[in-house]
Amino acid sequence: MGDNKSDVLQGTLDLMVLKTLEAMSPLHGYGIARRIEQVSGDAVVLNQGTIYPALLRLEQRGWIKSEWGTSETNRRARFYSLSRIGRKKIAEETENWERIAATMARFLAPSN
Amino acid sequence: MDFLRTLLSRIIELFARPHHDHNLDDEIAAHLDLLIQQYVASGMSQGDARTAALRDFGSVAQARETYRVQRGFPHLEQFARDLRYAARQLRRSPGFTLTAVLTLALGLGANIAVFSLLNCILLRPLPVPNAQELAVIRTDRNDDERGPNYSFGSPFLRSLEQHHDGFESIAGYSTHPFQVRNEATNVRVPGALVSGQFFQLLQTPPLLGRWLTTRDDREGQARVAVISDGYWKARFHRDPAVIGQTLTIANKPFTVVGVMPSSFVGADPMYRPEIYVPVWAEPIIDAPYNAIVSGYHSWWMRVIGRRAPGVSLDKANAALGSLSDPILDESIPDAKWIKDARAHHFRFAAEPGSRGYSYMRDTFRKPLVVVFVLCSAMLLLACLNLASLLMARAAARERELATRLAMGASRLRLIQQLLVESLLIAVLGTAAGLMAAPAVSRFLAAVLIGGNGDYVSLDTSLDLRVLVFVAGVAVISTLLVGLVPALRATSKSLNEQIKSGSNSVHARQHHLLPRLLMGLQVGLALILVFGAGLLATSLQRLHSIDVGFQPKGLVNLSLEMNKQSRDGDVLVAWYHQYIDALSRLPGVKAVAYVSYPPISGSTWTEDMHTTISKGDQEIYMNSVSPGYFSTLKIPLLAGRDFQWSDNATSGLKAVLSVRAAQKLFPGQNAVGQSVIQSGAGDSKKVYQVIAVVGDIHYSSLRNEAPPEGYFCIMQNTDHKPNYVAVTRVEGSVVPLAAAARQLASRMAPEVPAPVLTPMTTDIDRSIASERIMAMLAVFFAICALLVTAIGLYGTLAYSTARRTSEIGIRMALGAKPAQVVGLVFRENVWVAVYGSLGGLVVAWFAARALTSLLYSTSARDPWVLIASVIVLGLIASAASLVPAIRAARIDPSTALRAE
Repeated sequence: MGDNKSDVLQGTLDLMVLKTLEAMSPLHGYGIARRIEQVSGDAVVLNQGTIYPALLRLEQRGWIKSEWGTSETNRRARFYSLSRIGRKKIAEETENWERIAATMARFLAPSN
Repeated sequence: MDFLRTLLSRIIELFARPHHDHNLDDEIAAHLDLLIQQYVASGMSQGDARTAALRDFGSVAQARETYRVQRGFPHLEQFARDLRYAARQLRRSPGFTLTAVLTLALGLGANIAVFSLLNCILLRPLPVPNAQELAVIRTDRNDDERGPNYSFGSPFLRSLEQHHDGFESIAGYSTHPFQVRNEATNVRVPGALVSGQFFQLLQTPPLLGRWLTTRDDREGQARVAVISDGYWKARFHRDPAVIGQTLTIANKPFTVVGVMPSSFVGADPMYRPEIYVPVWAEPIIDAPYNAIVSGYHSWWMRVIGRRAPGVSLDKANAALGSLSDPILDESIPDAKWIKDARAHHFRFAAEPGSRGYSYMRDTFRKPLVVVFVLCSAMLLLACLNLASLLMARAAARERELATRLAMGASRLRLIQQLLVESLLIAVLGTAAGLMAAPAVSRFLAAVLIGGNGDYVSLDTSLDLRVLVFVAGVAVISTLLVGLVPALRATSKSLNEQIKSGSNSVHARQHHLLPRLLMGLQVGLALILVFGAGLLATSLQRLHSIDVGFQPKGLVNLSLEMNKQSRDGDVLVAWYHQYIDALSRLPGVKAVAYVSYPPISGSTWTEDMHTTISKGDQEIYMNSVSPGYFSTLKIPLLAGRDFQWSDNATSGLKAVLSVRAAQKLFPGQNAVGQSVIQSGAGDSKKVYQVIAVVGDIHYSSLRNEAPPEGYFCIMQNTDHKPNYVAVTRVEGSVVPLAAAARQLASRMAPEVPAPVLTPMTTDIDRSIASERIMAMLAVFFAICALLVTAIGLYGTLAYSTARRTSEIGIRMALGAKPAQVVGLVFRENVWVAVYGSLGGLVVAWFAARALTSLLYSTSARDPWVLIASVIVLGLIASAASLVPAIRAARIDPSTALRAE
């Protein structure tokens, strides 16, 4: 159901999450969402709920891990951080993304 | 890698879901809290902050759903939901469920049971390496009406062992119980005499010690034996020091040199020897007989071979054929015999032997195949029945399904759900069938083997592969069967459905397929009932044959005196004393000895002549003691019975049956005259006929009474003959068994305990294949009738239920109850009539296949045919009448209001 449409988006969201966690971790879902919005200069406005399936997907692959802790408002929250595999994957995924971006850029560049 | 890790984590989640739902909720709550705090900090009121937070977060429900899909197996969960729903549906209609499951279980259980029997008798290869290389060796002659001969004498075996072109090895074996010393007495243990290459040929390494080799199988070698795993356990308690221990077999010590693993069954899949000894020891084992000395007169071994690598069966067979002449010359010292054999194209031949040789296979092949065909028909019937039941059920649910379709359920989902229901039925039915099958096949095997003491073993366990295959086929076929009604039931739109309603006028054409199915069922059932009727009639006629004596109340008590020390007159005196003592036991009315009790499977013939007979006549012989005729109640027509005083010195006496007397003394009174036994050379013996007695069925029920002659045991010159004490008993046999054994062990402690078999058991055993066929056929026919009745009832009940309001209107307009009964009843009448007609036509032609299995019953016996039709008609009427009567009780006003 709409899987194909969101694939690209999902891919970007995954990488954003990974990069965020590389920069600062452990972080809970809210923190990750906030940070993505801030870093993107509020260019990305997330439906913040979508971050949780993405986190689950990454955790299922073993790229990130999580621990239960307490949030700033004193609630039970899960804190995510990169796993060893995740660290290795970031390089791969970054390269991947750059290749796609470069290809896209070539297509989008005004032809002359 | 990522995929695998994801899969693993999903599987783990399967078992931890509730807990984790809670976790996600916690996470979301924490998230929203932080968002609210953020907006409050920026100056919003609590309420506005909350709204803004929820907006930022997006739909909580969707996040949760996406998360759930990502976490587990959505299809699996949906399947589980469908399964729960299906289970609920089935529980709500227990009648339907029970019928469907039972139908399937019956069909499948019977099939699996019969198939496992077929598998173990006809199909399964011997459990040895490369069984496909094995060949069974036989001899062919063009004048032998009994077909190929699988028996061999020792001279042929020894020659074949030498020249085995095309074969890696060739071995002979003979299986029968050995007498083994166990403490003070001898016991019978299943054994095998095997030639030198036997174990090498079967290639199964011993569990302990070594197997027998060609070096062991030479006259005068050390007496050695190999035992089975089972015997090692039972006798030696798995003592590893068994190697080198001594077993006393037939009063001679044999040294145990090896133990075979439990997987090893020898070369006959239906006889498990516990002890193997070399062929050269045959004179010891079979003493006082000696088949080896009798040479080519004695045919007592089976021969098998293993083809050399790369040699095809055709090539091996050709090589063996071309050896026939040299082997004849080498092994037979009788020029006349050789000439006769050559004249009739005597030759050795090889046939596929991966399954070993078993007499049971030949005996039971045809009956088992017949039973299997019946069984398959039964399964087909079960499937048809299931299909019509499912169809009726789906038809009854059409409205519900149409409503659900209209409310937005996809057709695929509905079909999925219906199929899950069929699947559940299939799995339940298959499981029930599989559970019942082993018991049924054990029962069948017991009937097939018929009684005890034969040491026949049938391993009816089913291989896992076959089992999985059967279960798979069952489930898939049920799904296919369920697909048609599912497709049909979901094909209508709600609009159409509501328009047509339950008083549909199109109902009739809509019902063509179910009616066709029911018609097929009726036809099949008729065929099964007819076949069963024929087989049962034939069995009944076999049973009611007058055998010439009264088998009821007779018990055969067989004594094995061949390994003890008494002989000659001393032994006769012992035998006499023993039945004297037996006859004094309570409940014993009469008792006498005989060499071969009638219908026990063994007979013996002699060529006899008289001065007026036309040359030699083949007469069936027996040795009996005084009192034999009165014990069996064979009428003494003229002359006198034997007396104990008729002995070696009193002149040879004989008794003839009516047929024998007619053959030997055509048109004359036989009593007082002489008959001459035409022995080999000049060993002619002249007997004086002292009596003529009634004819009896000596060899089998099927065959007519043969001409029979009797000698008396007091004049028998054989050494240490074994006799059977035929005892007429009143009341229970159990006390006699114990007393007879006690008596024997007191009078001759070294003799194995006598084996008791009621004469009726012997007779039943002699017609085991007829019995099992008839029993199974009747069983299947009853099942078929039941299933058909259920089907007829079920479909009619459903279709009537759907016509409730139509019937209500008819009755409101003045239809009488009888008319309504007729209306509903008629629906099935046509199905039954067309089905029966179709069945009749097929049965008429198919019954031919049974001809050779029937005894004095025509395959087109009109009475059986009429009876089958009547039985089926009655059952069908009964099944159809119930819904019809119920329809007639419909109250018009209620029926109309219900719409």
